[in-house]
Amino acid sequence: MPNILEVDHLVKKYGDFEAVKGISFSVEEGEVFGLLGPNGAGKTQTISMLTGVIPPTSGTARIGGYDIRTQMDQVKRLNGLVPQDLALYPTLSARANLNFFGRIYGLRGRELKERVEDVLRIVALTDRADQAIEKYSGGMKRRINIAAGLLHQPKLLFLDEPTVGVDPQSRNHIFESVMRLNRERGMSIVYTSHYMEEVELLCNRAAIIDEGEIIALDAIKNLIAMLGGGVIHVGLQQVDDALLAQLSALPAVKRATLAPRPAPPLLRLRSGQAPAEGQEAEVSEIAPAPSCTIVKIEAEHSQQALLNMISFFSQRDIPIASLEILEPNLESVFLHLTGKKLRE
Amino acid sequence: MKALNVAWKDIQIFLRDRGAVINLFLLPIVFILVLSTAMQGFMGGDGDRLITLPVVNDDADGKAAQALIDALNQAGGIEVKLYDQAQAQALLEDSEIERVLTIPTDFTADIAANRPVTLRLVSHPDASETTTESVLRVVNGAARGMSLQNQLIASFEQMGDMLGTSPSEFQVFTTERIVAQAQSQFERSRTAPLVTVEQTRPENLGERVTEPNAVQQNVPGYTIIFVFVTAQATAFSIYREKKEGSFRRLLAAPMSKAALLAGKMIPNFITGLIQIVVIFAVSIFILPMVGLDRLTPGDDLLALVLVSLLLVLCSTGLGILIAAIARTEGQIGGLGTLALWTMGAVGGCLFPPFLLGGLLDIVGKVVPHYWAIQAYQDLIVRGRGLADVTTEMLVLLAFSGVFFVIGLWRFEFD
Repeated sequence: MPNILEVDHLVKKYGDFEAVKGISFSVEEGEVFGLLGPNGAGKTQTISMLTGVIPPTSGTARIGGYDIRTQMDQVKRLNGLVPQDLALYPTLSARANLNFFGRIYGLRGRELKERVEDVLRIVALTDRADQAIEKYSGGMKRRINIAAGLLHQPKLLFLDEPTVGVDPQSRNHIFESVMRLNRERGMSIVYTSHYMEEVELLCNRAAIIDEGEIIALDAIKNLIAMLGGGVIHVGLQQVDDALLAQLSALPAVKRATLAPRPAPPLLRLRSGQAPAEGQEAEVSEIAPAPSCTIVKIEAEHSQQALLNMISFFSQRDIPIASLEILEPNLESVFLHLTGKKLRE
Repeated sequence: MKALNVAWKDIQIFLRDRGAVINLFLLPIVFILVLSTAMQGFMGGDGDRLITLPVVNDDADGKAAQALIDALNQAGGIEVKLYDQAQAQALLEDSEIERVLTIPTDFTADIAANRPVTLRLVSHPDASETTTESVLRVVNGAARGMSLQNQLIASFEQMGDMLGTSPSEFQVFTTERIVAQAQSQFERSRTAPLVTVEQTRPENLGERVTEPNAVQQNVPGYTIIFVFVTAQATAFSIYREKKEGSFRRLLAAPMSKAALLAGKMIPNFITGLIQIVVIFAVSIFILPMVGLDRLTPGDDLLALVLVSLLLVLCSTGLGILIAAIARTEGQIGGLGTLALWTMGAVGGCLFPPFLLGGLLDIVGKVVPHYWAIQAYQDLIVRGRGLADVTTEMLVLLAFSGVFFVIGLWRFEFD
């Protein structure tokens, strides 16, 4: 399929600070593409440049064949944006909001009326359309927020964190709407989120973005496959090459390597005794953990590998200082690649 | 077209905000009502007051002259104050008085001889035309009454003389003949009155600065202040739209930044114009019903409209400037307070000129409020025209330009 979006070394700088550091990626027509990363990674900045909200510092992109630096007016007619903020007018009704945004996109008369009714049907809010937005629940507001981005039937829809603060029912409805738009109307979608389960559910491919850079880009299943069957981080007092070789040879273990991460800290009780039942512990200090080395075990099958590993350590009386299991998902992939969590 | 869409959306939002509607339309009228009532006592105004009419009586010993003066005092609305000629001339030239009526030397003798006589009413060029008109009506009324009285008496005396010299068989004056004679004299007193009034308005007299009454101070003063309140409302609207994210959605839409900004400015402009129309209309038609002076809009309505347009333009520019500079709602509130009340006070909108004295002329000139109220009062109070307020209008235009240039330069869309 041809590409609807081609991003070429896009950069955004604010003085000396580089918010987006020359990212490049493409989105095929009809694809749902995920941009996954923590808050402040540069997702919204990227979308803002692609939708014309802010100009790029350097680099460019083409949407539907139009260059964002020289043909933004044509680009804006192809794009639809559902911003992260609830970009609606609270004292106006949903219908009044949609009528306004429709007119901004050049819709008039019967066509406008039909489009408004269509998007209200898509988000299932036809019967509440004449109520002021301020009377809606958070989920309903999010749905109208999406509806406003669909009015002009964009070729490429940017959904920027569309489920933040949304109840589960509305969240599911949003997922269903996104899937239906893609499946039935062939709409290309760029979906940004810091919820990995959404990206895993909805997207064909995803780029993982952190500190303004894309650190991984592939089909979802390939990204998850980076972790194989999962990753186990085990903290040990002493590690040598022989031990690593022995661990690597265990059944269900792909590889064992060193991963320099601090073990979780220990807490020291004030009285030196465990608190009585129902009482909270008084903590005098958070002491630094005794020095230990983290071994990263890449498993073919995490549960089996864990059992084999514990049995191995038990037989040799090797104490385990800490243990962390990363199941194969995008959150773990992110942690594996950056050492940070998606949601701090 | 898209700018109009944005403007219409903002107007819809504004109309749903009852607090804002009350703040911008009802509150200025309340201020004007309360403060004009409170200030009326020491700021003049017609009401029950008599108009002082300076009179030079060159026929000081004449009975007819005295009768005319008595008639003027009894007519209602006028209080005659006597001066000698030199004194009256000096006061007129110094702009201490607005007009003087001169009774000529042979007034009584001419009246007795049934000879036409002319009273002279000299008005200062800056005298209120309305008041002059009122005075003229009263003087003409007294003069006509005097004319009729004398002409009737003369006519009946003539009839009496004729009766004395006629043969007895012709010495009959029927009622019809008397009535006909009276009617003839009534008609003559109208078409060829014995006493006429000539009004002159010499151009070579010194300039008179007329002080506003309470209504003439407060109506333009609070109109100006509350038109600038609208600027603060515009700044709030832009701030909220940026904060809530709808600005971002509009930036992603196929509309230019110029259209977006124009759409935010148009409601400010329209609201300001409607405010001025409503406040002025209430001041002209409603205030007199509650015992306050009626506001007269002056003789040059075109100038009044142009000054109003420039005032609203200035307010719109200030709204954009505040939106560009302020980063928080608190800052908008603070800047708005500075713009509204401080500049309004310094500019002479809150207090009558005589309370601020020379301070107004020195400090006031740095704010647009001063120029706006000077223009309004030149038109409303001093009866001046377009040519006389050109300087104020150009200054308001310059302020508008500065506000727009700085506001647009500093405005951040994202």
